[in-house]
Amino acid sequence: MFPFVCRGIMRAAIHTRRIRGTLPGRLLSSCDGVPAGLADADTIFALSSGHGRCGVAVVRVSGPASATALRCMAGLTRSSLPPPRKALLRCITDAKGKEVLDRGLVLWFPAPHSFTGEDSVEFHIHGGTAVITAVLQALGSVPGMRPAEAGEFTRRAFQAGKLGLTEVEGLGDLIHAETEAQRRQALRQMSGDLGRLYQNWSHKLKRCLAHVEAFIDFSEDELIEDGVLNQVDTSVCHLQAEMERHLKDERKGERLRSGVQVVIAGATNAGKSSLLNTLCQRPAAIVSPMAGTTRDIVETALDIGGFPVLLSDTAGLRDSPDVVEREGVRRARERVEQADLTLVVVDCAHLLTDAQQAVDVLQTHLMCVLSSQEQPETDRCLLVLNKSDLLPECERQKLDREMRRVSGLPPVCLISCHTNDGLQDFLTVLHSSVKTLCGDPLSGAPTLTQARHRAHLQQCVAALAQYKRHRDTDLALAAEGVRLALTSLGRITGRVAAEEILDIIFKDFCIGK
Amino acid sequence: MLTKKRPLPWSVLSLLSRRAAHLARQQYDVIVVGGGHAGTEAAAAAARVGAETLLVTQKIQTIGALSCNPSLGGVGKGQLVKEVDALDGLCGRAGDWAGIHFTILNRKKGPAVWGPRAQLDRQRYREFIQSELLSTPRLTVLEGSVEELLVTEPNPEEPGHHRVTGIRLANRSQPITASSVVLTTGTFLSGALFMGQTMSPGGRFGDAPSSAGLSHTLRERLGLRTGRLRTGTPPRIVKDSVDLCQAELHLPDTHPTPFSFLNKHTRCKPEEQLPCHLTTTTPGVERVVKESLHLNCHIQQDTKGPRYCPSIESRVLRFPGRSHQVWLEPEGLTSDLLYPQGLSMTMPPDMQLRLIREIPALRRAEIHTPGYGVQYDFVCPTQLSPALQVKNTQGLFLAGQINGTTGYEEAAAQGLWAGVNAAHWALSLPPVALSRTESYIGVLIDDLVCRGVTEPYRMFTSRAEFRTSLRPDNADLRLTLKGSEEVGCVSSLRYREAVRVRDSLQDALAALHALTLSTNKWRNKLPGLQMSENKNTLVTAGELLQYNHVSFEMLASVFPESLSPYAEFSQRLKIEAVYKPYCDMQKKEIERIQREENMSLPQDLDYFSLPVSLSQEVREILDRVRPSTLGSATRLQGITPAAVVNLLRYVHATNAGLKGRTHTNQPERKEERDEERCARNASLPQ
Repeated sequence: MFPFVCRGIMRAAIHTRRIRGTLPGRLLSSCDGVPAGLADADTIFALSSGHGRCGVAVVRVSGPASATALRCMAGLTRSSLPPPRKALLRCITDAKGKEVLDRGLVLWFPAPHSFTGEDSVEFHIHGGTAVITAVLQALGSVPGMRPAEAGEFTRRAFQAGKLGLTEVEGLGDLIHAETEAQRRQALRQMSGDLGRLYQNWSHKLKRCLAHVEAFIDFSEDELIEDGVLNQVDTSVCHLQAEMERHLKDERKGERLRSGVQVVIAGATNAGKSSLLNTLCQRPAAIVSPMAGTTRDIVETALDIGGFPVLLSDTAGLRDSPDVVEREGVRRARERVEQADLTLVVVDCAHLLTDAQQAVDVLQTHLMCVLSSQEQPETDRCLLVLNKSDLLPECERQKLDREMRRVSGLPPVCLISCHTNDGLQDFLTVLHSSVKTLCGDPLSGAPTLTQARHRAHLQQCVAALAQYKRHRDTDLALAAEGVRLALTSLGRITGRVAAEEILDIIFKDFCIGK
Repeated sequence: MLTKKRPLPWSVLSLLSRRAAHLARQQYDVIVVGGGHAGTEAAAAAARVGAETLLVTQKIQTIGALSCNPSLGGVGKGQLVKEVDALDGLCGRAGDWAGIHFTILNRKKGPAVWGPRAQLDRQRYREFIQSELLSTPRLTVLEGSVEELLVTEPNPEEPGHHRVTGIRLANRSQPITASSVVLTTGTFLSGALFMGQTMSPGGRFGDAPSSAGLSHTLRERLGLRTGRLRTGTPPRIVKDSVDLCQAELHLPDTHPTPFSFLNKHTRCKPEEQLPCHLTTTTPGVERVVKESLHLNCHIQQDTKGPRYCPSIESRVLRFPGRSHQVWLEPEGLTSDLLYPQGLSMTMPPDMQLRLIREIPALRRAEIHTPGYGVQYDFVCPTQLSPALQVKNTQGLFLAGQINGTTGYEEAAAQGLWAGVNAAHWALSLPPVALSRTESYIGVLIDDLVCRGVTEPYRMFTSRAEFRTSLRPDNADLRLTLKGSEEVGCVSSLRYREAVRVRDSLQDALAALHALTLSTNKWRNKLPGLQMSENKNTLVTAGELLQYNHVSFEMLASVFPESLSPYAEFSQRLKIEAVYKPYCDMQKKEIERIQREENMSLPQDLDYFSLPVSLSQEVREILDRVRPSTLGSATRLQGITPAAVVNLLRYVHATNAGLKGRTHTNQPERKEERDEERCARNASLPQ
C-alpha cells in the first residue's frame, strides 16, 4: 500500500502563508548585525530533535503563547497547566482539540526557568514524518505562533541572559547566523546538487574577488593582464543571472513550509467539489447535480504523504449572468493563477471516443482553464477525468489505454469520486507531483534553513549589483560589493578568510614586488 | 615643520652623536636596539611619550639607511606611512624631505586604495632621520653592539615568566639598565649573507654581524620559538652604463602630494623630480637563471621567502616563459646608481652581470654592487601581545623583521607602536592597542599576533576588511586625536592641526547638507549636470557631491559664501561624501568587532584544565596562541564559533575579562607623568 496520509487540518496553512511574505525582510534586518528585529511577542516553534525518521521527536515552543498552545493541544483547561518541568502523558490534538494527532509527553517550563528564559513547552511525540508535520501544522494554527528561524532558540537564550551573554549580543556570527555545526548541518541537508552549486558559486566569487584585489594591490607595479577585470565583469554577470534564476524557480523550501497551493478547476459540474470531499474524506464542500453549486473558494489543508497541501475548490468556469457566480469565477481564475499545481477536472463523459479528438478537446480545455496563468505551465497541472463509473467498462478501459499512450498532455488520471475507482493511482500521481514541487522529502524539514539561504542569496545578488554600479568609477567600492556578496554566500557555505584570497592571487599572478 | 627645520650638516651630526655616546648613562626608561625603520620610530615614539630613551646601534652612520629599495609607500604601504605620520612618526616627513619622484598609485581605482608613493634620495632620507633623532629631547644615541639581554625574575603582580632589566654591550663592562627594551634587529638576528656558493655571517653587506648572544638569550633563556626567513636585494647598476632610451619612461605626478598631514609641499620642487624607467626580462634571463642554478645555494634552500618580492630566480622558475617587469629607479638626485626593482638575485657576481646584460636596456650595464640574499631568524609573532610585548617576558618588545615582516613601512609602523608601549610600560601606564577596525597598523599587528607568519608579511589593502573606512585621506582623523588623548605620542602642534581639520570638515559637511535646492535649480546653476531625479525633488549639496562628475569647487561656485572657506578641504570633502553611505554600512560590523576586542582573555589562563566544553584541538590552539581578546580568538584558524561561545561563558562567569590593567586609573597617572616629564626635562644635559 502506498503510505499516504490524508487528513484535514483546518486552514493551518493559511496562517503560515502570511508569514512567508515577511520572512525574507526580517532576515535581512537580522543579518545587518541588529539584534533580530523579531518582536519578542512572537512565539516560535520548531522540531528540535534531528530530522528524518526516529523513535521520539521533540518539538519545542517558546514565547508568550506557549501556554495557550499547550492548553489547546494537550486538552488542558485554563486552571490546570501541568506542574513546571514535570512530564505529563497526554493525547496531543490539533489546535481545536478535535482530532488526536498523537499520544506523547508534554513539559511546561514557565518563565524564567527555561532554556530561553521565556515560557516554553516541549512536546515529545512519535518521530514519524506525518506526526511531526501534523503537530507543526497544528502549532502554526495557534494565533501568535510562527516557525523559528535556525538558531533562534539559542539567540533568545542569549538575549534573555540565560547564557550570561547579554553584553555580547553583538557577537553576530554566533547569535545572528548559524553556528558552525548548524551551518554544516544545513549544507548537508541541502541535496547534494544544491550544496555543490553553492560551493561552486562561492568558488567563482572567490576568484572574482581575488582578481579584483590583485588588480587593486598589484596592477600598478606588476604585469596584471589587462583582461582580468573584463573576465571578472563577465563572471559577475553570469553569477548574478544564475542566482536570480535560481531564486526565481526554486521555491521548494518555502512551499514545503507554507503548503503547496493545489487548486481544483474546471467546467461546472465536472465533479470538482466531489474530488475535494473525496480527498479530505469529509463533506467539506456542498455537492449537488446542479451546475454552479460552488461559488466561493473552499479551502482545506491536507497532508499528502507527509507534504502539506492547501487544496482549494473553485467555482466552475463558465459565463454566467449571475453576479455572485461571476465573482466566483473571477476568484477561481485568480486562484488558478497563483496555484503551484492545478487539478483540471473533466467529466469524461464529454470526451468523444476518438482518441485524437479527445486529446484536442482536452488541450483546448486546458488552455481555457489555465489562461489566467501568465505562461500556462502544463507541467504544473494534472488532468483528472472524473465520473469513470458512468462509462461502460470497455469504453473506460479504452480511454484509459488511449490516455496512457498520448503525448503532449499533462499526467492524466481516470477516476470516479463516486466509487473511488482509480483514486489510489491518482493519489500516487498527486503525491509525486507534490514531492517534485517540494523537493526531496528525506531531507525532511530543513525548509527554514532554506528560507534563510534564500535571504542570503538575495543579499548576495544585491551586493553584486554594487560591483556593477561602481566598476568604472571606484574599484574599491566595487570590490567591496564582491566582498559583501561572498560574505552573504559565506553564511551558507562557510566564511572565506582574507588569506584564501591572497592564496588565489599568488597562484594566478606573478607578483614580483 | 619641513620648511622651517633643516637637517644639520653631517659634521655637526657626527659630533653630536659622539657627544651623546659619551654622555650615555647607566639607566634609562627604554632602550631600543637597532637603528633601522623600526628602531628609529620606536626610539622617537618612546621619547615623545615621555620616556628617557637610549637608541643603541652598531653604526650611527647607518641610522635611517634604506637597505634595499630607494622608495617609500605604495598600495597598502602608503596607508601605513600616513598612519605613522598621523601618530607623529618620522617616516612620512622624512619621505617628504627625501622624495624625488612622487606618485599616487591606483589614482583611478578609488580613494580608499590610493597608494601614495615616492622614490627617495638615500642620502637625504638618512640625513633627515638622523637629524630628527639627534634633536629629539630625552633621546640618546649610542654606538655599540649588544652582547646580552639582562633577564631576571618577573614582577609577580603582572603576567609573564621573566622580566627584562637592560642590556650588556660588547665593549662596556657596566650594563645599562632599563624598564623596557625594544629589539629591532632586522635581518641581523643570526643573519647570513648568500652570494653564489659563498655564505658569510651578517645582516647587511658591509656591516659587521651581530653577536650570537642575543639570539641565544631569546631562544635558550626566554624559550621563544623562532623560525628562519630569507630575502634578497638586487645588484646596484651604474647609471651611465644604462641605455635608458630602450626603457619606457615613467614620469612622476606633476604636483607631488606630500605624505605628511603637516606638509603642504614636498622639499623637491615639481620640476626637480626624476623619472623612473620600466623594462622587461627576456628569454635570455631565464636561461642564465637555469644555467646558474647549481651555483646558487640561496635559491636551493627551502627557507621561506616571500611570494611577492621573490628573486628573479624564483620568478622565472615559478612562472616560466613570461616576461617580468623590471623598474629602473633613481637612487638619489646626485647618485650615479640605479636600483633595478625586480632583479633581486643571489647567483655569483659574474652570472649576475651576464643576466642583466640579457635585458636590452642593460646590454652594456656595469654592476656597482652585486645583489645578495639574506637569511635571518625571526621570533614567531604569536608569542607577542597586541602591544608587541613578548608575552612571557615583562618589558621586552619586538618590532620589524624580527617579527617576520618585510618592508620599511611595516617596520616603521610596528616600531612606533612598540616604542609607544615600551614607554607606557616603563612609565607604568596601561598598554595601548590599535584595533583592526581603525587602522592598517591594527590590521598588521592583529594579523601578526593572532595568525603568525609563514612567509615575510607584507601589507596589502585586501588584508583590511574595513578598507572603505581606513583610507589614506582620513588617517589623521582616525589616529591623531587618539594618539594625543590616549597614547600621548603626538605633539601639540599636530594635535591642534588635527582638531582644526576635524572641526572644519564637520562644519563643511553640515554646511553642505544645509544647502538645498530643487533639481531644476541645480540644473540651472550648474549647466551640464546629469541628474535622473524628478525636477522638483529637493537635493542637498551634500547629496549632489556624491555624483561622479560633481566637484566641491562646482558647489562652491554656486554658494561661495558658505562653502569657499572650506576650499582647502575640497578633495577630502568629496571623498567623505562619496564614502559616507558605505562607511555607515560598515559601522555596525566595526562595533561588533570592537565589542569582542574589549573582552580580554587572561594571559595566564590554563586552557587544558578550563572546565568548559572545548575539544582538545581547540585547547591546543588556544594554549599555543594565547589570544589576548575574545575577538582575536574568533579569528584563529580552527576555533569554532561554539568554542568561542563556551569560552565566553567562562570568561563572563569568572568575570576574568575585567581583570588586568584597566584604563580607569589613567587620569591621575597622566598628571604624575607630566610632572615626571618636567623633572626629566629639567635634568637634561644642556
